[in-house]
This record gives sequence, structure tokens and C-alpha cells, in this order.
Amino acid sequence: MTTPETAERRTVSGGESRRTPSGAPPRRRRIRTEAVSGYLFVAPAVILFSVMGLYTIGYGFALSFAHWNGFTPTWKWVGLDNYADLLWRDPVYAPPVQAAALNTLWVMIFVPLLTVAVSFPLAVLLNQVRRLQGVLRSIYFVPYVTSGIAVYFAWRYILQPEGAINFLLGTLGLGSLQEPQGWLGNPDTALATLIVVIVWGNVPVAMLLYLTGLQSINPSVLEAAQLDGAGWWRTNVSVIWPLLMPLTGINVLLNLRESLHGFQTFLVMTNGGPAQHTNVLGLEAYRLAFLENLNPTLGLASALGWMLFVVAIVLALINLRVLRSRV
Amino acid sequence: MFDYLNEHSEVRAMRRHHFGTAKLAAVAVATALSLSALTACGGGGSGGSGSSGALEMWTFKQSHVAGLQAAAADFEKSAGVKVKIEAYTPDDAFATKIQSSAKTGDLPDVMETHSDGEDLGFGASGIAAELTSVVNDAWLARYPETVRTSGYVDAAKFKESQDDGSKMHGVKQGARHSVPFTIGTFGIVYANKKMLTDAGIARPPATWAEFVEALKATHAKDAKNGGLALGLKVPDTGITWLAQPLAYSMLGRSGYEALFGKDKAANWSSPNGVKVLQAYDQVTPYWMPGTQTLGIDEADQAFAQGKAAWLVGGTFTLAFLGQNGMKPDDVYAFGLPGDAAGKVPDPALGPLALTSLILSATSKQPENAKKWMEYLSQPEVAAKFSKASTDLPATELGAESSSIVGPALASLLDSFKGTPEGTYDPRRREFFPPGYKQDKAGAILVDMSPLKKVTPEQTGQKLTELTESFWATSQ
Repeated sequence: MTTPETAERRTVSGGESRRTPSGAPPRRRRIRTEAVSGYLFVAPAVILFSVMGLYTIGYGFALSFAHWNGFTPTWKWVGLDNYADLLWRDPVYAPPVQAAALNTLWVMIFVPLLTVAVSFPLAVLLNQVRRLQGVLRSIYFVPYVTSGIAVYFAWRYILQPEGAINFLLGTLGLGSLQEPQGWLGNPDTALATLIVVIVWGNVPVAMLLYLTGLQSINPSVLEAAQLDGAGWWRTNVSVIWPLLMPLTGINVLLNLRESLHGFQTFLVMTNGGPAQHTNVLGLEAYRLAFLENLNPTLGLASALGWMLFVVAIVLALINLRVLRSRV
Repeated sequence: MFDYLNEHSEVRAMRRHHFGTAKLAAVAVATALSLSALTACGGGGSGGSGSSGALEMWTFKQSHVAGLQAAAADFEKSAGVKVKIEAYTPDDAFATKIQSSAKTGDLPDVMETHSDGEDLGFGASGIAAELTSVVNDAWLARYPETVRTSGYVDAAKFKESQDDGSKMHGVKQGARHSVPFTIGTFGIVYANKKMLTDAGIARPPATWAEFVEALKATHAKDAKNGGLALGLKVPDTGITWLAQPLAYSMLGRSGYEALFGKDKAANWSSPNGVKVLQAYDQVTPYWMPGTQTLGIDEADQAFAQGKAAWLVGGTFTLAFLGQNGMKPDDVYAFGLPGDAAGKVPDPALGPLALTSLILSATSKQPENAKKWMEYLSQPEVAAKFSKASTDLPATELGAESSSIVGPALASLLDSFKGTPEGTYDPRRREFFPPGYKQDKAGAILVDMSPLKKVTPEQTGQKLTELTESFWATSQ
């Protein structure tokens, strides 16, 4: 039986009678039209990426070799001076960058570690809850959807000398644990407090990732473990945790990236204080770029940004290698 | 059968044609939308004024808005030009707002900025217009001589601008990029009268030692709310508003200026420098809890709310306290008391231009904007503004100034009175190393007081190292 489609195929692939006035066969013409429309469809994205992505990346990279304040008509080319000044050479700029690098390192160690340490058990417990799981999941997700400037301000009030944390400690008879200068006012507690606030904001997404992983584990695997005599703890440690290792890798990578580049929490809550004890590299780059009152430090900011980018790439590669070796 | 097939394939071909047309239309729309988005990103802003025809003016002082709006209403009546006033706070947000608006062509016509630094930086960057030909002698004569050169690139400022790292790099000698708008000074102490009375203090302290004793008394009366507030989250406040006037009083002009020099026998790590730091350290036990986490406005608010008995600020602080519900009659306001045993036991605090007006280089109505700037400098307009904002205008108000500005501001005017040698003049910066940044020095000082992380001796050493680093960079 000849269907309309086969007839059409025959007609299209058939002879000279179906050629277009220009001489091109209809199929080739259709392919060309589709190709053109395809190119046109991706053109906006390509143009946008060229302008917003490639151009700005190239511009920023070039800027890292210059002194400029963003407004003067000319750049002063300085070669690799900006990199050298930030890393060791300039006695004004290098010491704060080195101090900020150390603070950033602490943040990069503890934020991923604590986020995983909190979110994995939370996800396991939430996965075992049979009632109100949706409600509980929403509650635990609240920190993520509410994170922002307003929440950081709220945290500042909570952490003040007369704030809720000190009040709670006093009410519970733990007055000796109160922080008289406020939790952000004491250099010994300020960075640790900020890390806790960042972890509080990062746990929901990490927990959700673990939860999706937990729900995708084949129940027969868990049953087999139980039949082999593994208890709750053993199942989680020896079966579930290894199975979710790729998700742990993703969580660690996401938190490392956030710890390396993120600065809004620090900007809003301490502005790097007290006395620069909570300054981090992202905040230092932001200050050099926008808060130097038109001093020509945009190039320094750009150089610092590129150094952070290189570190992020290296970390991503290490993470990828570790994941591949484990999976 | 073939007819059917032909007909069917024609229909499909038509459909394909329609589909192709629709697809191309969709592509065209998507492309147009993305290009329009790019165009939007590319700026094309109005550059002030806008289509409404009204002038636009931005300020970073919320306390100035009411006074400026009142002046704008009068200006509209007299000149027929409407002026729209907007405030963006705090200072950092204002600075970034101007920079981003300059990039997108959305600057207002007139801006109130910090004097003698920010204004000339905007001039060097092409954001602020050049005003030499506009600001004539009659206009300048309205200002006290001490602030007439504010906004003007004299030989000293031009020399400072020659440094590659200077924000003023690129200004031309003899150019004027702003006119002064308000004057005042730092190092003004505010004290809560009621709290002082409760602690048995009947009058403001007259010397540094009395000040420390009074602090001790209010703190002993109420350890939680009887301390000293200062927005040390902005670390340069401690050194600029408190340590430097104290150093000037203790060491006199030459000794004070030597603190920032290269001579280790006279700079911060010297016995003189350590003596100043030890005196400053005397207030350490009496800071308001957590003052190092507060910005300037937050510290002012804390004082207005009764969370501190003392506050260090500037002449401009009085207006902010008023906005936060504290009446001028509720406070003592006086210049930082000097060291009775120092070289300048009773120092005056030199007035300087604190804020200035700049004209946007992209203003669509430069003539009207200049008229508005000139209008604000007229004595009767300045007097009205002063009353409405509780701030000191740059324009001289004549012999009646005390009665015009009210008793609280008049007492602040008294702190300006002194001999040249007996006056701490914060405008003088020529002895600082090129590119010197107060915030870095301030952070070192905060580490000593209130944080108690380092001793005065260690602080002196660190300040010397910092100063030397700026000297080294300048070479």
C-alpha cells in the first residue's frame, strides 16, 4: 500500500520534475532553510554570549594588566605588576590580601565540611519520616529561599551583645558562654560565626540533593544489606554514604565555589571587621573595584578575580579527579 | 489516487511553508528582543533632568533632604525651575550609585558629595563639570576664606594628583570642580545630659583626663548603656575623629605631623607616638559593647536610643540625632577636650568643607543647574537650609549666625575659634605619605582599642610599618 508519506518521499527523492526554479532540489532547500533558521535561533544567544561573556571576560583579563579607575580616558599598562603587587610586592596591598587569603582558606575548609556534616544526616532522617515529609522539607528549605540582605541584617541583630543568642544563653543559665561584645564583635568568634551563618544558608540545597539521591537508591540494595545483618548505622555508613559519594562531591564543589567567591555575607554582616579580622578575598576584590573612591585599583581587583578563577578551576579539576577515582 | 496524493503533499508543503514563516518570525522576534535587551544594557540614559524638565539633585545626607526640598520649592517660585531631590545612603552606596549611573548615562544634574577628595576625583574622571568660569568672585565671597579653595585644584592638590595612584590623577591645575555646601569638623563629642547628671557630672569635661574620668563615672553607673559609642565598623573614624585631635593636643603641630613621617624617633613607634596611643587606650574599658560592629549611622542611632552615654562624631551628627528623636537640648556638644599637660591644652577644631556641590558633566540643563547651585549659596537660602537640616552651611551667615542656627549649632561654632597654632586642622594632609589610607591605620588602632589584641607599643610599631609602606610605595 502506498501511503501519502511514501508517495511524498518518492516524489521528493524523484526526478527533475520537482526541482525548484533556482535548480536546487526541495530536500536540499529544506535542509538549508532549517539550517538558516537554526543559526538564527541560536544567534541571539551567541550574540549575547559574545557581548556579555567573551567581551567582558577579555576586557576583564586585559584590565588585570593595567591601572584604571573606570572613568579616565586611558589605561596605564603595567604588565604583571598587579599580580605581583597583590601576591607579595606591594606593602600596602599584599598584606591584606594575604590575611584575606587565610580567612578564605578557613571558610573553604569549614563551610563544605559542615554543610555536608549537617545536610547528609538531615536528609537521611527526613527520608525516613513517613508523615509530613513535604512540610518538613519545606521548613528545612526556608533558609535557602529567605537568604539575602534582609536575613543577614536579621542575623546581625540576633548576634549583637543584647541579641537573641546572648539572651537565650542567659535565660538557660549559660551566661558564661555569652559574648559581651556580640558574636561578630569579638575577632575570636566573628569568622566562626559567619561560617555558621553561611552553612545555615547552604544546608537546604545540599540536603535536597542528598534527598533526591536517597530516593533514587534501589530499595533492594538496602534490603540486601539488612538481610546481611547490617543495622541502621552500618547501612548508612557502608552502603548509603558510598552510593551518594558523587552527590557529596557536587556539594563540596558547590560550597567550595561559594566559599571562594562569595562575599555578600561578609559585606553586609561585618564589612570585613572588626579590624579586618573577617576580610575574605571576594570582599577584598569588591572593595578594590568599587569602594576605593576612584583610585585606579580596578586592575588590581581584576587581577585578584582572575587568581580566584584559577584557584576555582584547580579545585574543580581536583574534585573531578577524586570523584572519578571513587565512582 | 494521484490527485489525492498531490493535493495532500501540497497541503503539507503549504503547512511547511507556514511553519517556516512562523519559525522565521519567531526567530526575528527573538533576535529583536535580545538586541533590544542589549540596547537597554548599553545605556542611552537621559543624563539628568529627563523628559520632565525638572532638575535632579542627589545627596548622600538624608538629613539634608528636607532643607533642600524647602529650598527647591522657593527656587521653583522664583526661577520657575523645578528641582527633584533624592537621597542615597549610606556613603558607599552613594559612591557606587554615582559610578554606575555615570556608566549608564543616568547621572542627575547636581550632586552633593564629600569635599576635597571625592569631588576632585569626579572632576578627574569627567563626571563633574569644570566650574572656573561660572563661580565668580561674588559667589566665592559668600564663603569663609578657609573653605574658598575647596573644590579648586591649587598647587598642592595638583602636586598630590601627580601620583599615579591618586584618585585626582588627571585634574588640571587651576580647575574648579565643586563649590562648598556645608562646613564643619570632626572630633565633636556628644554626651547625654541625663545620663551624666545621673552619674553626678554637672558639666562637660574640659580636659582629656576629665573626659576619661567622666566616662568612667557613667560606665560605673551603667556598664551596659553608660559607655562611648563610635562607628568603628568604619575603622578610620577612631583615628580621624579621636586619636588625631588628641595627638595634636598632646604633641602640637610639628610633633603631630612627625607621627606620619619617616623619622622613627618621632613617628608612631617613638615615645611620643606611644604616649598618644596610651592616652587613647585609656578609653578602652568604656566603649559601648559591640561598638566595633556598628557603622557611623548605627552608632549615632545607638546613642540616640540611650544605649551609650557618649558619642564621638562631627558637627553633622547633630542633625542625624535630631532625626532619630534626640533633641539638641538633651545633649552636651563640645570639641574633643585637650590634654591639659600637652602642647596645645585647649585645641580648637578647624572647620573644613564637608560636603560640596558638583555639576554633572552630562547635565541637559547646565545653566539651570548652575543657577540652582548659586541659589543655594545665597545667605538667606543657606540660613533656611541650616535651620531645616540642623547643619552648618558653607555660606557665611554674618554676625547673626548664632541666632540663626540656634544654640546647639552655635556651641559647635565655638569649637572653631582658636589661633592657627592652637587649631587642629583636618584639612592639612601634606605631611601624610602619598596615597595614605586612613582606614588601614584605623583598623590597626581598632585592634588595640577596643579589641585589646595589641598593646600601644605594638600598635605604634604597626602604624609605623604601615606609614613606611606608603612612603615606600610612593618611591
